[in-house]
Amino acid sequence: MNKILRNKRTGDAIFSGLFLLPIILLVGLFIVMPIIQSVIMSFQDYGARNLISGKPGTWNNFENYKSLFRSGLIANSIGITLRFVAIVVFFEFFIGIILALILNSKIKGARFLRSLMMMPWVVPTIVSALIWMWIFQPQYGVFKALVEFLSGGAVDNFAMLNNPQTALWGIILAALWKLTPLMTLLLLAGLSNISEDLLEAATIDGANKFKLFWKIILPSLKPVIKVSVLMAIIENFKQFPLFWTMTGGGPDGATETLAVLSYREAFVSFNHGSGAAVTTIWLLIMIVIVILFNMAFRED
Amino acid sequence: MKVKIKKTLSGMLALTLALSVAGCNSGKKPNPSNSKESNVENSVASSVSKSDSEENVNLKFANYAILESGYTDFWNGVKSDFEEKNQGVTIEYVTAPYGEIVNTIINMAAAGNKIDLLFGENSWVPGLVDSGLASPIDEILSEEFLSSFYPSVLKDYEMDGKTYGIPMYISPFLLYYNKDILKEAGFDNPPQTYDEMLSMAEKISTLKTADGNKIYAFGQTTASVPVSGASLNALIFTMGGDLLDAQGKLSVDNEGFKEAFALLKTLEEKGYNPQNAKLKDLRNLFALGQLAMYYDQSWGFNGINSINENANNFIASAAPLKTATSKGESLLQAHSLILVNNGEASAKALDTFVQYLISNETLENYLQNVTPAYPATTTMESLKLNPALDGAKGSEANVKSQVQIPEISNLHLELASLAQSVTVNNMDVDQAIEQFKVKANEIVK
Amino acid sequence: MKQNKWSALKVISRIVLLIVFVFLLFPLFWMLLTSFKTNMEAFRYPPTFIVEEATLQNYVNLFTVNNDFFVYYFNNFKVSGLTTLTTLVVSIMAAYVLSRYKFKWNAALIVLITASQMFPLVSRLISLYSTLTHYNLIDSHFGLILAMTASQAPFTTMLMTGFFDGIPRDIEEAAYVDGAGRFKSFFSIALPLTKSGILAGGIFTFLQAWDDYLHAVTLIQTDSFRTLSAGIALRYLGELSYDWTLINTISIIGTIPMLLLFFFFNKYMIKGIVAGAVKG
Repeated sequence: MNKILRNKRTGDAIFSGLFLLPIILLVGLFIVMPIIQSVIMSFQDYGARNLISGKPGTWNNFENYKSLFRSGLIANSIGITLRFVAIVVFFEFFIGIILALILNSKIKGARFLRSLMMMPWVVPTIVSALIWMWIFQPQYGVFKALVEFLSGGAVDNFAMLNNPQTALWGIILAALWKLTPLMTLLLLAGLSNISEDLLEAATIDGANKFKLFWKIILPSLKPVIKVSVLMAIIENFKQFPLFWTMTGGGPDGATETLAVLSYREAFVSFNHGSGAAVTTIWLLIMIVIVILFNMAFRED
Repeated sequence: MKVKIKKTLSGMLALTLALSVAGCNSGKKPNPSNSKESNVENSVASSVSKSDSEENVNLKFANYAILESGYTDFWNGVKSDFEEKNQGVTIEYVTAPYGEIVNTIINMAAAGNKIDLLFGENSWVPGLVDSGLASPIDEILSEEFLSSFYPSVLKDYEMDGKTYGIPMYISPFLLYYNKDILKEAGFDNPPQTYDEMLSMAEKISTLKTADGNKIYAFGQTTASVPVSGASLNALIFTMGGDLLDAQGKLSVDNEGFKEAFALLKTLEEKGYNPQNAKLKDLRNLFALGQLAMYYDQSWGFNGINSINENANNFIASAAPLKTATSKGESLLQAHSLILVNNGEASAKALDTFVQYLISNETLENYLQNVTPAYPATTTMESLKLNPALDGAKGSEANVKSQVQIPEISNLHLELASLAQSVTVNNMDVDQAIEQFKVKANEIVK
Repeated sequence: MKQNKWSALKVISRIVLLIVFVFLLFPLFWMLLTSFKTNMEAFRYPPTFIVEEATLQNYVNLFTVNNDFFVYYFNNFKVSGLTTLTTLVVSIMAAYVLSRYKFKWNAALIVLITASQMFPLVSRLISLYSTLTHYNLIDSHFGLILAMTASQAPFTTMLMTGFFDGIPRDIEEAAYVDGAGRFKSFFSIALPLTKSGILAGGIFTFLQAWDDYLHAVTLIQTDSFRTLSAGIALRYLGELSYDWTLINTISIIGTIPMLLLFFFFNKYMIKGIVAGAVKG
């Protein structure tokens, strides 16, 4: 008996190894190795000339990091990235849960609305960026016309993406437009999994709508919320094409997130060491946030 | 029964996968020493055409412009015409978006695949030299050919006593203006100084287009792209200022530098300058008659024309503006060719090709009708210019040489940020310049 | 009293619904409207809401003059489709093992896979390029698909693990006792049971791949191999000028087939997500 078990165990191991091999190879080769290289590079003086000549970079005593802090670029970018992620994820969830609750309330045409709602999600990010740039266009944009109309003609030159105070909000709108549908869909899926009996029982017990939401619906949605919010955090942390297409980090650095900064350092200035330093910091922040997030969801 | 069907299905899945992977391989360029199959293919091909394949030279030409509709015809024509005239030399275009192409060729070179030629801005040269991806042109081009270029122009391509890259044609950031708008405002001639411009602007900004749209008086690009920074660099020069000193160190504590950004602030406060605009935004507004004057490279004409074919009727050019004390010197812009020496055979073909490109026959029609610009060689002096450029004639020689540093593109980006901080971010000029210096000192070390 | 409260809530919810849907759909409507305008009309302020001189010229141009677009389009379908297929194969295999077999290394692997979703692509671009060059896979669809599979697989694996966790293992265990091998229980028992999950994961992966910009712009240099986003950026967002009506037309044409496809698969996607992703 023991032998049979041991044989099964070995067979299992071989089978597992075989099935795990592709993903280990892919992740190792295309993700882990590059990340290790990038972290090493962040401590080196490494530019395009090293890349081309194959000369290894030279250790530069944290100069890449020091320079980023001295110029204030990294502090600015961290602030903007965190603001962007926090605002987008908050509104994504807020709009998503309200929309999901409404669409789940047996309203007429819910199925059709659900499909309609998903439309922005299918639009490629680059195209979304273009659509919103066109809407925000400073001279002929329809948003400018809207603001002029709503303000009774008082504000006749509103240019969302040109003003450092509003540019980030322009991109936030575009990101929300593209990502809220998926969040809603996930929450909707979670809602439809809550058992009718539970809801009915609570209603009979005299719970009103709000109590029902706080005491029954929200707790049962917890796993869905965890997954979808985590997805949203990661997705928005990595957002690049929207920024690069819509503002390129401007005006006056107002939308220069870590993604934009690292791209600019590495691929516009060809200072790959400095670009790698930005992504290393970026990575650390992301890891800390994800760990905090997981802790927060585990505690209560 | 059911299990059987599933089995067949999964078998089909595996089959499709195998087929699709094979399909992918066929979508891949045959590459020598790639895999066994393509090796076989290759040896078959070479045994058939062995006689002429030995002299065949393939020039890899990285060119973003071929994919932009305004330029496509010209570059396709160049390839077919040159290949017909020079049997045994083929041109292979490597393409990437404008903002991505330098990055692309660096990646390619890092992987051991060096291009032979790049079409691009002259401000790309220092970075490429620093990367080791630009060769001194005297290694490749004949001395006689080089002697036909204006020495002052070639000087802009010098780094450490050697010349890297060569201009196809040149332009300063010149002043394009709309004759009709100026006339409507009561002016027959374009301004010559910034003060004149400002007083004209006051009048112009009261006008509206036929549709009732606002007319901007004066456009200066300030968007977050390197070329906007280059244009700002030119603005500083026209006001007699400096960005870098002769050693390539930051040198911005001068009147001209400050005046340039004070001007931008004035333009912003009076609403003369479209905010945060890219050059293509300005071209757009100009083409639609919503912008009276603006600074652009001469080839911006091509972009204007593609929006409004009637722009020919009202476009005219003038020399860059001056201040009371400055000479109005601009910064030289050039669509340049950056050469890489990949051995004797390709260098020889490259020499032939570059001489073919920068010749009266190739450029005459292009410079006159498609991409107006000024010639860079004495041999092309007699070439007839596009009439739109007549007004600014001579200003291509009134340029200040910029010291070349590898970080110039990044520094130009910071200049754009500075312009944005005094305009859309409403910051005090002195304070903004101090803030700029902190960042710029990290770039120029 | 209670009746009243409910109807107030109903009215508010309808208003909210209206606002959110205007936000979600107006940009698409505006894009459609602009695509029928001439450039001169598109550049008018205030913008016209009823097209004055409606023209199909932009569409005609797209099919005749600017038709490189369709090459990008086809490539995007090919690359996204094959990426989806390889991602599914890789992820399903990994997910099955992670869900069914408990080994010491599983935990480490799960951490690795979760973490690799977080790594920004920008930081991997340089090494990615040189790795692919090393294997002679640069500037080819095969290399692009491999790289994209590596980026997609971690998330899809986590998704699929959730699905497998959601189906009871009794059947497989029974089959094992009956002498069915591991491959057999995987192919003929576990796989069929996760059909809807596979479909949902597939659609999700496809849409992610469809959206790719950075991979393609970095790894492809030959124009005829380019995919949609990179192609659009390259050809229609040039340095020279903006042709806004053409851009809007391209956006419409680039979006509609995906919309149709999505409407068709929508049902399965939702079913799949309800079935498992959420429970896991």
